[in-house]
Amino acid sequence: MALSASVVAGLQHLLGPAGVVLTREGRLTYESDMLTLYKGMPDAVVLPTSTEEVQAVVRICREARVPVVPRGSGTGLIGGATAPQGGVMVSMTRMTRILELDLANRCATVQPGLINLWLTNAVRDRGWFFAPDPSSQMVSSIGGNVATNAGGPHCLKYGITTNHVLGLEMVIGTGEVVSVGGKAADRPGYDLTGTMVGNEGTFGLVTAITVRLLHLPEAVKTALASFASLVEASEAVSAIIAAGIIPAALEMLDDAMIGAVNAAVGKVYPDGAGAVLLIELDGPRAEVEAQAERVAAICRERQALMVTVARDETERALLWKGRKEAAGAVGRITAAYLLQDAVVPRSKLPQIMREMVAISKRHRLLFANVFHAGDGNLHPLICYDDRKPGELERAQQANEELLHACIALGGSVSGEHGIGMDKAKNLPLQYAEADLNFMFRLRRVFDPDGLMNPAKLLPSHPACGEGFRPARPTLPAGTWV
Amino acid sequence: MVVTTPALGGALRAIVGTEHLHEGGAPVDGAAPRWTAAPATIEQAAALVALAHDERLAVVPRGSGAALELGHPPTRVDLVLDTRRLDAVLEYNPDDLTVSVQAGCTAGALAARLAGRRQILPLDPPGWAARSLGGIAATQASGPLRQRYGTMRDLLLGVRFAQADGVLTWGGAKVVKSVSGYDVPKLMVGALGTLGVLLELTLRLHPAPDHEATWLASFRTPAHAQDCVAALLDSTVQTNRLEVLDGRVLAACSLPVSAAALAISIATVEPAVRAQEGLVKAIVQRAPGAVQTMGASFWKTYDRALAGFDGVTLRIGTVPARLVETLGAVQAVLPGAAVAGAAGLGALRALVTHADVSVLLPPLERLRATVGEVGGGVTVERAPRALRERLDPWGPVPAAALAVMRAIKTEFDPRGVLNPGRFVGRL
Repeated sequence: MALSASVVAGLQHLLGPAGVVLTREGRLTYESDMLTLYKGMPDAVVLPTSTEEVQAVVRICREARVPVVPRGSGTGLIGGATAPQGGVMVSMTRMTRILELDLANRCATVQPGLINLWLTNAVRDRGWFFAPDPSSQMVSSIGGNVATNAGGPHCLKYGITTNHVLGLEMVIGTGEVVSVGGKAADRPGYDLTGTMVGNEGTFGLVTAITVRLLHLPEAVKTALASFASLVEASEAVSAIIAAGIIPAALEMLDDAMIGAVNAAVGKVYPDGAGAVLLIELDGPRAEVEAQAERVAAICRERQALMVTVARDETERALLWKGRKEAAGAVGRITAAYLLQDAVVPRSKLPQIMREMVAISKRHRLLFANVFHAGDGNLHPLICYDDRKPGELERAQQANEELLHACIALGGSVSGEHGIGMDKAKNLPLQYAEADLNFMFRLRRVFDPDGLMNPAKLLPSHPACGEGFRPARPTLPAGTWV
Repeated sequence: MVVTTPALGGALRAIVGTEHLHEGGAPVDGAAPRWTAAPATIEQAAALVALAHDERLAVVPRGSGAALELGHPPTRVDLVLDTRRLDAVLEYNPDDLTVSVQAGCTAGALAARLAGRRQILPLDPPGWAARSLGGIAATQASGPLRQRYGTMRDLLLGVRFAQADGVLTWGGAKVVKSVSGYDVPKLMVGALGTLGVLLELTLRLHPAPDHEATWLASFRTPAHAQDCVAALLDSTVQTNRLEVLDGRVLAACSLPVSAAALAISIATVEPAVRAQEGLVKAIVQRAPGAVQTMGASFWKTYDRALAGFDGVTLRIGTVPARLVETLGAVQAVLPGAAVAGAAGLGALRALVTHADVSVLLPPLERLRATVGEVGGGVTVERAPRALRERLDPWGPVPAAALAVMRAIKTEFDPRGVLNPGRFVGRL
């Protein structure tokens, strides 16, 4: 659907020629996020610089009933920042200012386009950091992190994005600017801040974010333990958590990933291991020392082949190098892959790993694992060759089977990437019709016209449509007539 | 179908059984209910709400009854839904650090269950042990442990509730990390049951620390206490609890009175507690202040002093860097008030003994104006009905945000079945 001349003129008048991308070549960059399976080119891309401009864009689009799709850095993994129904994509890349740093009150207010790591870079020398650290933090925007409620390796101890968001300013689907939450504790009323985080642009566009900053810990200690198999490594993870230790990060790589990483960046992990655990502890020095000893002992009890503790920052960086380069290193072992993000209760890790091995054998596909083991958040890369007929379909089938297995163990369809276009169809696995219907109605409050990032997050399901009536309790019949 | 009052009683009785449906019942905020029903299952609870919806009754959910004076006086109280029989621990997964409970389970009962595995649910509003977890969630009540662990909004992973028309609904997940769909649990926390009657909660647990040590730091002026808070926050010390106590709260705890004191606790493995003790003491002395080591019973004494307070309780939300101004503002407008709370977060409570309504009204408005300068507010957590009839117990909510809240309430409870009139904006 092409935009009407009046909408184009309105956007250009508002933002100037440099603020509106209309050419096909220009828009091509915006047709998908990092999950390139889903493509949808917007009819126009706009680059506002202020809340007022964002609001004006939404009002123009609303009047013309044109879809509005927000986009940060486009590093999402769910087909969220793509425009399957066309419309106007609002890129936040010109809204990158830190509006306020208030270290006395441990918080900062930023524009949505600010890159995650830039915030930490701005406060690190004064001893502070912004805790949510998705692997994309060098390039992903805080607005995008808020939209997807992003996680990251250190979320095991520190919590995900929502635990660090104190307030938001948002242009909602009605075209209103709404400010919610803020620096001060305990606002009365519904927790709209918490409700808005993770909305994936379906309620509207976040234009400012107040976040909590944390003080850097006194000490950080990183250890690497290798195991003969994924199952044994998973048992060690469960044992560490069960012992009452919550590491800052607890990451696992399997043999396929170890091989890829070692080939790409040099031998950082021991060859021949079935799995390695990267364990990071942070906090007061004495606590870190005591817990590191306990963690090493647990790994040895669980038949670790080897336990190494980094002695200095250089060794620590080396241990993390493999983890951080993993996504890039995968190119050495496969042409293409599907990335699963489901969660299982952490005590079920050994069980899901056994099932994963079985699924991989059944479909004759290589699974490479690099994931947040501490919170049970899986990230298997299901490798396939798109030049071989049928392999993508087999990979998709294996992906679905794994997802079903996770839900059957009491898990969740997404731990940190979100739903977008990719997993909307899977939500009914986790939620009953009444639950889906509640979410549909909540969305409609913020976006009554269905124009904000349409076709994302909720499935096309009767429960997510007008007029659906969930089953009500049976009342005693005839007892009082 | 239109039914008469006695017939409706019969229908309610048919749902919960004769012994668990009472005509009348304990008043809520001075208003006597027509019925009080105590369901034994969540299905019974949902059926009660469904019937109330169809017959346009006002439902008031009730847990331990500790927070019934929060909010506007209810406009109608037809059916009190007493959750105290819904007190089961449904599923405890110690290896996952998660638990699912029914909403009527008390925090104390859960704590006893978790102690065997050395785990905790770190939620400790005053009088927490007797309070129901559903009530703590509905009122977003918090205590000293929020300094380290956050509040219910950070710990509630999943929630099952009955919507206003009785439809049983689930939001969230049973695992510690999930971003599947909207964060419905956040919407339910602090909503005072106005969007759904909370029936089951899945909660994130934490390991109980090996060892906790507490110090009382006393200061000659509140400014010294604020400097100490700032220095602690800007250090690597990992405080477990960080409470400010004014002279009156110190007296209520039978402690030596000073202008302001901080109760500081560190909880971790013993060597790390000892290692941080030196840092804490150095920071306090630099402020300057005097340090005294407290026994393990301190936090029980403190909890009892706050919970046992008889009078008007105000929740003050501000920022840590405004401690002095806030304490000063309370003293200026309410000279008899006692103040305590989470100094590192700006979440304070003011306790006022004289409950003379006409005397209290103007000071409250002045206090709101001062705290409002940083976007904070004052909520009347507990006060005689007469006071709450004459002022807004929640304080102002920005118009655009209130409009969204009203739209949410209208979407999910158009008939005003759930706690009508009590929440912000009389939703």
